[in-house]
Amino acid sequence: MKRKNLAVLLLLGCVFVPKLEAQIKHIEMRVEGMT
Amino acid sequence: MKQHLQRQSGVQNVDVSLIDGKVEVTPKEDGQINTAQLLKATYDSGVSVSELDMTARGKIVKESSGNIEFQTAPNQSFALTPNELSKGLEPLAGTPTEVTVRGQLYKKSSGKKKADTSAPLKLFILEVEKKE
Repeated sequence: MKRKNLAVLLLLGCVFVPKLEAQIKHIEMRVEGMT
Repeated sequence: MKQHLQRQSGVQNVDVSLIDGKVEVTPKEDGQINTAQLLKATYDSGVSVSELDMTARGKIVKESSGNIEFQTAPNQSFALTPNELSKGLEPLAGTPTEVTVRGQLYKKSSGKKKADTSAPLKLFILEVEKKE
């Protein structure tokens, strides 16, 4: 029974922990000639 | 220019500071933004880009020629301009370790009036923020 509860907890953890994905987070540009 | 950039795919928000001449682009959640297209779109809107920096999370991969690249998506990777920081990332090539880096993708060469936006962008790493 304990094993079953542990398995359920692990499964829920996998579902709810936010997945860290590769991605571009922020872009900054310096520009000239802007009015 | 702001509206023009906001129409680009993958762009969530654009902040323009007229005083600093600074444009900040926040990508959408999926981070699928085409930086070369963004650079071209900025030029097309009538302003000249002097620098483009980005912060991104990705993996270090080795391409067929043996050079290392920074991969932010399966279909998006950037060749790295060799420096001390890029050398430090070489051992991570091919490993599942993800790194968050801040780097310069574009800098206008002095004396050049019109930039070549068709050339592939190379990433010059300025800072390695995190390794996971």
